[in-house]
Amino acid sequence: MEGYVMEAQDLTKKFGDFLAVDKLNLKIKKGEVFGFLGPNGAGKTTSINMMVGLLSPTSGNVLINSEEVERMDKKTIGICPQELVLWENLTCSENLKLMGDMYTVPKDILTERIETLLKDLYLTEKADTRVSNLSGGMKRRLNLAMAVIHEPEIVLLDEPSEGLDPQSRRVLWNYIRSLRDDDKKTVILTTHLMDEADRLSDRVAIIDHGKLLKLDTPENLKREIGEGDIIEMTLPNNETKEYVMKYLEKLEDTISVVEVDGKINLRAFNAVSKLPKIVGELEKSNIQIDDLSVRQNTLEDVFIEITGTGLRE
Amino acid sequence: MKFMSIASKDLKELLRDRRALFFILLLPIFFMLIFSFAFGTMGQDNQPNNIAVVNQDNGVTLPNGTTVNYGNNFTDTMKSLKYQDSDVNLFNITQTTDENASNLVKQRNVDLELIIPPNFSQSVLEMEQSVQGSGNGASLNGSNTVSSKLIIRGDKGYSGFGTSLSILTGVVGSYQNSIIGALGGVDPEKFIQTSVEGIPGTQSFTAFDYIAPGMMVFAILLLSTSVAAMLTKEVESGTLRRLKLSEMTSFDYLFGGLLPWSLVAGAQIIILLVVAIMFGFHWQGGITSIILAVIIGIIGGVASISLGMIIASFAKNPPQASQLGTLIAVPVSFLVGAFFQLPQVVIGTFMGQEIQIYSILPWYQVATALRTVLTNGGGWNSVVYNIAAAIGLTAILFVIGVYLFSKTRLKSEKT
Repeated sequence: MEGYVMEAQDLTKKFGDFLAVDKLNLKIKKGEVFGFLGPNGAGKTTSINMMVGLLSPTSGNVLINSEEVERMDKKTIGICPQELVLWENLTCSENLKLMGDMYTVPKDILTERIETLLKDLYLTEKADTRVSNLSGGMKRRLNLAMAVIHEPEIVLLDEPSEGLDPQSRRVLWNYIRSLRDDDKKTVILTTHLMDEADRLSDRVAIIDHGKLLKLDTPENLKREIGEGDIIEMTLPNNETKEYVMKYLEKLEDTISVVEVDGKINLRAFNAVSKLPKIVGELEKSNIQIDDLSVRQNTLEDVFIEITGTGLRE
Repeated sequence: MKFMSIASKDLKELLRDRRALFFILLLPIFFMLIFSFAFGTMGQDNQPNNIAVVNQDNGVTLPNGTTVNYGNNFTDTMKSLKYQDSDVNLFNITQTTDENASNLVKQRNVDLELIIPPNFSQSVLEMEQSVQGSGNGASLNGSNTVSSKLIIRGDKGYSGFGTSLSILTGVVGSYQNSIIGALGGVDPEKFIQTSVEGIPGTQSFTAFDYIAPGMMVFAILLLSTSVAAMLTKEVESGTLRRLKLSEMTSFDYLFGGLLPWSLVAGAQIIILLVVAIMFGFHWQGGITSIILAVIIGIIGGVASISLGMIIASFAKNPPQASQLGTLIAVPVSFLVGAFFQLPQVVIGTFMGQEIQIYSILPWYQVATALRTVLTNGGGWNSVVYNIAAAIGLTAILFVIGVYLFSKTRLKSEKT
């Protein structure tokens, strides 16, 4: 396990008859940002809960630095849960101090860390404000600070930017990058935001229905599904959708045609040059188009290609 | 010292949560006020007081040769006494043997038993003669007096005992005075004394004096609801999960939580005592009794915290914990006699103490001890058994609470 800090071996979790995680096998490298990408209900949080020892797996093992997760030094991991897990009646400083105390951080070091964290996450002015009086974005940032107060080797962030405004998201993303680049931490990031996974992750694991579907760098994943562009088309009625999709499939250089969230998604080489022909054909057939756009391949398209569907919300 | 951080956290959360504080502190005060009006001196109807009389008086032969039994005379006097401006008798008297009288007290069929000693008539006669002697200018030689002692026995934790005792004490005094008449010059205490076993006499004992310590126990019991709700809130909000991920141990969490809640229990005793005194509670004892009551309250608080842990082991969310807590705390309050005296259900004896079916609940011991200390003015020796029993029972409850809460909430989740 040299160079790896965490390994899941045939990790399986069943809730009654429901198979939440199905024989998950993966290794996470030291010092990387590892993206765990999947729709809501894909099994990301369940996997993570097992990986940090909060949930017992039905079968399989988790090794942290080659040791069983049960025997792991609790200081090794810091987890930022998906939900806001804060003591609402305590101030920002009091929340951080409590967690620092729980990890036996020496008092002088703790005071310094609290100050630094509040500064890095733009919460200094709110140090003595009760959590109940903070905005959603501030709470989310404090939620992250709570996970790293003891300077863990592995930082696990479960959908950290959920519900954040763009400004707070930028602060968060910068901080996640600094964790890897400056503090040399290993960051495990679960998200259903393709953009987030794409921008932050060194490697991405795509998981759906409890199964690991792909694991690679975002660049390799995008390369794997081809260089083609994406045409997204919205039609006003569903009756014509099938006809249009069949027509697009027959076009030259078409790689794939799928329906995602009510939109027709065409991936093809040199898609821009095909636009006049497509529009002309549909006009001839009296088919109206509500919306039409062309864009470059993204990680979302990788996901669609692999799962055959868009992200479930 | 992680438990100190947990204690500090819990205390801050508690003090900053106004709704919780209201529930914990003001609600019992509100109940105390209601009960003070309902069972205090205000609006109390006159009722005959049930007492058992054991007349062991041998009687006495007067100088003129007639035989008189002052014991019977005193009993008849008591039978004929009525409340002022009322047709209601002061006493409903059952004349019986000592053994049967004790049973009647235990069954709560009577409030107390009055034992008239064999030499009662002799002492009354001497008192009469000394009064006459005093009237004739003769002096009484105290060393030759025959004094008798009326013994009053009863359950010191029973409110009826206190009420009947205060009236009876007054009646004895009146009886002595009626014999002495207007002549005066004689101390009747030299001839007829009263001995109260287990309780000092009070002049205006009301049912509220019994209920006030019960209300303190009720308030302490309600802590279980607050503790259960707080613990369940930690589970629901995920903060307990966060703590579980850290180096905190079950001991840190549960012992840390114990400290502020114990302080609350102690504070409740003091606050409720002040409120009760303001509204007519006849508090016996001094600072020592308050210190003792706070210690007893803290023991009861720990028992309630343990009950809270048990409730939180099963409740899924704070509203459910509150409902479940109330569902348990209120009936338990009745079961430990917080609001009214329960029938005696003796299941055995231990170290000379009767074990009742309710005795297995630590709050029963707490309630009894609080009444002994605050209402009856009893000291450490009077409550040592109750305190020891309360500590023992609380320890058992605490172990069960820690076990269940640790098993269900502090371990890795299996499902």
